[in-house]
Amino acid sequence: MIYGKLWLVVRPTVGIPLFLGAVAVGSFSVHVALLTNTTWVKKFLNGAAPAATAAVEESTQKAAAAPPTLVVASAETVKR
Amino acid sequence: MADADSGSDKVWPTGLTEEQSEEIHRHLIQGTQIFGFIAALAHLFAYIYSPWLK
Repeated sequence: MIYGKLWLVVRPTVGIPLFLGAVAVGSFSVHVALLTNTTWVKKFLNGAAPAATAAVEESTQKAAAAPPTLVVASAETVKR
Repeated sequence: MADADSGSDKVWPTGLTEEQSEEIHRHLIQGTQIFGFIAALAHLFAYIYSPWLK
């Protein structure tokens, strides 16, 4: 096996924790970087609730924005 | 660099034999392959079920 004699010169008690630690730190930092530099990971990890809430808020805002025209129209109707 | 004093095939500075070193390395490579396979599977699932790259 290629590099099989590595452990003749590197103590396994040093080399193996170093190797596993490098893998752990590397993969963890990549995922932390993803979490901090993108928006979708946080949204995805928070689940569907915030998206549903946002949709409800959006529809509520639309509904709140719409009635005044209707109210005005009905008021005009009453005046006539 | 075999240790002639003890009459074994130990090699210094670690004091392991070539066979022991090969065995450690074999297990480490196998562990890495299993880890890599699981990680690849996890990334596949993340690609399918998350908004990643979409």
